[in-house]
Amino acid sequence: MIFEPVIGLEIHVELKTKSKMFSNGPVTYGKDANTQTVPLDLAFPGTLPTVNKQGVVYAIRVCHALHMKIDNELHFDRKNYFYSDLPKGYQITQDKRPIGSDGYLTIEINGKEKKIGIERLHIEEDTCKQLHFKDFTLLNYNRAGTPLIEIVSRPELRSGEEAMKYVEKIRSIVVFSNVSDGKMEEGSLRCDVNVSIREKGSEKFGTKVEIKNINSISYIQKAIDFEVERQSKIIENGGEVLQETRRYDDAKKETLPMRLKTDSVDYKYYPEANITPIKLSDEFIKNAIESCPELAESKLKRYMSEYGLNDYDASLLVSDKEISEYYDACTKFTNAYKLLANWVNVDVLGYLNKNNIVISNFPMSPEHLGGLVNLVAKNDVSSNQAREIFTKMIEENVDALKAKQILGISSQISDESMILNVINEVLKENPQSIIDYKEGKGRALGFMIGQVMKKTQGKVNPKLTNDLLLEELKRR
Amino acid sequence: MKTYNIDVLKDAANRLLFDMSEAEYKTLLNEFDIVVKQMKLIGDNKGLDAYEPMVFPFECTTDYLREDEPGEPLSREEALRNSPRKAGGQIKLPRVVQ
Repeated sequence: MIFEPVIGLEIHVELKTKSKMFSNGPVTYGKDANTQTVPLDLAFPGTLPTVNKQGVVYAIRVCHALHMKIDNELHFDRKNYFYSDLPKGYQITQDKRPIGSDGYLTIEINGKEKKIGIERLHIEEDTCKQLHFKDFTLLNYNRAGTPLIEIVSRPELRSGEEAMKYVEKIRSIVVFSNVSDGKMEEGSLRCDVNVSIREKGSEKFGTKVEIKNINSISYIQKAIDFEVERQSKIIENGGEVLQETRRYDDAKKETLPMRLKTDSVDYKYYPEANITPIKLSDEFIKNAIESCPELAESKLKRYMSEYGLNDYDASLLVSDKEISEYYDACTKFTNAYKLLANWVNVDVLGYLNKNNIVISNFPMSPEHLGGLVNLVAKNDVSSNQAREIFTKMIEENVDALKAKQILGISSQISDESMILNVINEVLKENPQSIIDYKEGKGRALGFMIGQVMKKTQGKVNPKLTNDLLLEELKRR
Repeated sequence: MKTYNIDVLKDAANRLLFDMSEAEYKTLLNEFDIVVKQMKLIGDNKGLDAYEPMVFPFECTTDYLREDEPGEPLSREEALRNSPRKAGGQIKLPRVVQ
């Protein structure tokens, strides 16, 4: 039997606001436990929720990026459940009227584009953080009330790879739109995966297994691939897949059962009567969309069409928001965009990896890198010399010209007539080398270039010298 | 419909972590009787399902959204004052997962 996986994703994204979604409690990370709450976050009596404007702006930005219909009225509901992570006894969310509905995202699989439907995007609040020990649990309410958006895909993903690409793209959107830092390892982007399998061609869904709290993009693919294989084996052996919640254990490279799901939980949703429906004007929605920074997809296209970068270089630059911002900042100081992309992707990224730092800690200003690229672009220095200068610029925190001066590197000679004179001298002095070259001895060319370098103390532009020498040899 | 009696009310109060005197439970039960009767009267009307439940007393919307400005948080002492058990600045309770 050939099986087909059916995968749907629910992604929770923590928004990068300064205050919480329904209170003015501060949104922070890593502060002492229970020091970042206001009365509403702890459900103290007599408190009422108010809706954070920036949270709504952020939700609209993501809705727009996901081609969703945006509701021009905000309605909130209570999701009721009794659990210690939620002091009010309910979570404020949007059940009946999510702010965004019926959108899609395009991913690329094996060079082909695939549209993945997105059912809904709604605004809600995060719960408190629970720490479970052997016989007790500790509660930290700092996170309680932090703004979240939940993005629910349609069950249209068909492999772990597709799911991974989908999450990568969602992450890129929320990071580039400045809506979230999208750090899965810190929990600001959390992913629950629903996986079932069915016979290929069948319209009927199989029994769904939920894999919760996957905290790395690569784990998503691994967890799904494992789960598809596990379910396939069960069915092939005549068994029945249980409806359950599982978690992914990367050490064991497998999903493990957490709890059985006998019935779906009834959260008894009802409208949040403490928040009057809020009208969003067309102007408000338009401003939220127009204030959104440029997204990766648009940047990629711009880098290719305006700067002439190839797909590889452009994709590498937009794979990280801060790197692409650094590149953008450098373009103010040089027009050699392709060369600049090469320097950022090779030398700057190489330096970051070697020193295990992020671009915000990279010690060279965009102006300085732009200046160095200009030197290379006008053949003032060779690539090798430029790399020496690059290192010296970082060591001494100076610009390219100063570093060049410290290193005693004199400018390359790119004057064609001057180089030609030296070439002709060399050819005159080495007639045998011309014969050797004509007879196909490759080394003869290297020897003649070496002679030119010797006569000019290595100051001539090597590429130009090579080109001129080849032309001159053709004539003889 | 579930029948309300003193035991049901006591159980509900216990779940909500409060208690009342016997007289108060009797008063509450009487009020429940009245509420249930009123609900029945409403339920006897035909064609009710055609109406959307009303959440707000009248049709109203607002355009108010709070500016994203954080306020002064509670001190930890204030935040945890109602908690009978604490550890390391956190609320401590019996383990809530299996």
